[in-house]
Amino acid sequence: MSARTQRARALHLLPLLVILVASGVGAALAAGPAGRLDPARAWCEPSAARPLGCGEAGVDLMPLVASAELGAIALAVVVALVGFAVGTPLGAAAALARGRFERAVDRACDLVQAFPSFILALAVLSAVRAPSRVHIGVVFALTAWAPFTRLALAQTRVLRDAPFVEAAVALGRSRVGVLVRHVVPNLLGVVAVQLGSTGAAIVVSEAALAFVGLGPRDGVSLGGVLDQGVAAMLRAPHVLVVGAVAVFVTSAAMLVAGRAAER
Amino acid sequence: MKPLRLLIGRAVEALLVVVALASLVFFALRLLPGDPARLVLGDEASAADLARVRATLHLDEPLLVQYVRFLRGLATLDLGDSFRRPGTSAMARVGDALGPTAELASLAVGIGALLGIAAAVAASGPWLSPRGRTWVERALVGVAAAPLVAFAPVLTWGLAARARLVPLPGDPDAGFAGLLFASALLALPLAAHVGRIARASLAEVSRAPFLTVASAKGAAPLRVWLVHALPAVVGPIVTTVATQLGALLGGAVVLERMFERWGLGTLILEAYSTRDLPVLEGAVVAAGLLFVGAQALGTAAHLAIDPRARSGS
Repeated sequence: MSARTQRARALHLLPLLVILVASGVGAALAAGPAGRLDPARAWCEPSAARPLGCGEAGVDLMPLVASAELGAIALAVVVALVGFAVGTPLGAAAALARGRFERAVDRACDLVQAFPSFILALAVLSAVRAPSRVHIGVVFALTAWAPFTRLALAQTRVLRDAPFVEAAVALGRSRVGVLVRHVVPNLLGVVAVQLGSTGAAIVVSEAALAFVGLGPRDGVSLGGVLDQGVAAMLRAPHVLVVGAVAVFVTSAAMLVAGRAAER
Repeated sequence: MKPLRLLIGRAVEALLVVVALASLVFFALRLLPGDPARLVLGDEASAADLARVRATLHLDEPLLVQYVRFLRGLATLDLGDSFRRPGTSAMARVGDALGPTAELASLAVGIGALLGIAAAVAASGPWLSPRGRTWVERALVGVAAAPLVAFAPVLTWGLAARARLVPLPGDPDAGFAGLLFASALLALPLAAHVGRIARASLAEVSRAPFLTVASAKGAAPLRVWLVHALPAVVGPIVTTVATQLGALLGGAVVLERMFERWGLGTLILEAYSTRDLPVLEGAVVAAGLLFVGAQALGTAAHLAIDPRARSGS
């Protein structure tokens, strides 16, 4: 691969890096911890001291949005990586096994991807008193493997008839050996592209969960900002705009970052 | 016989997924650390009250007995009484809430499919300049990537609160216009997905001989694309709608919460905050059944419209 295409690929990571750095700086510059209340400044407009303005009960939006973004990106990256790590070998194994197992995994992916997973997440989260980020991550991971599995399955269907795989089988390598040494390494580039769209979907789902009231206990979530914005739509529209732009930009940056893995 | 077998096979598979996911919810509520009875009553509850709740929810029985009871309840659609409204069955409350959500979601599917197909046909036919087509395609990609939870409140603020072009859907006097606005918001991401898939599929058939024949026989471009090309790409469109349905239901929960509109989403959130376990389980089952029904309907529609699907090729 030429240095130029490598540079172009690395460029896809830029928006996410910019958001990470900006959020880090935003969180570090803040006078107090994210979420500190200052009722005298409730719903104040953006100013030099508070560049994004204030929300409910005078919470400074800049550190709040910055920490919420860092939290959302961390959650999205971890869950997407778990989905990747679980889903890829499963799909590859299914395609190598062929027959009934392959068909079953294929259909399971279809169904899990189409299922109203948001509603499932609400129901599972009701089992804990106050959901933490770990709980939310586990619930998302329940369905995050499916797109990776489906991609790995499709790609392995092509690979399984490749001469080098046949050669490995003919030389007496075990199925697991073929899978680990020959198939999975060849899948990674194709399947890794899905990391971006899964990450973006998780950023949005986390915001949506917090928006309907199932956010993390500390209230630091982009969905929480949106919820405040909707409540004060007429009084302080800047809160709504800040929340919406933050969700949109973060999810878009995740999508673009996924393309860095593209071949 | 083949189409019927395919249809039944699909429905059975989808039902199995619903049972598996409902079981997941069942076990999550019972096996995760934390006592469900305490979740329901809070920390200050007396031992006698806790025991009473455990008895009502059958939490004092062995897990296996509870699970068998749960499966029997699933099969007969009777998951016991709502815990917060004794005397009302959980499924009745869910059924009550299902109507408004189904109204919102089905209208959104209709609007989304129409908008998406219109955009795809517009971008495929001879009406737009190449530049215009590229813009339609770009708009589809952009809208498909826009999260509902971010753009729905902003559009509501702009169109309903500021410009007052549309009524707020949560307003009791909003009536059908409010419902239409809420469905249109919900329909936008679906329209973009349908538009992208339909555009790609139409591009594939655009050079097919049967379209050339239709044009040569004097059919107007609109007729060529709508009557001849569109039926050939119904399969991918129906599949897209079916796979987006889960996201649509999730979006409906967000919108119902935002507009304080009664429906399945509001019921689930209410059941969540009051830990009404039977209602929660019932809501997941109902969402699942809705999903099975839609999948079956999608397969049936595809089989009815596209003869290639019927022949099993």
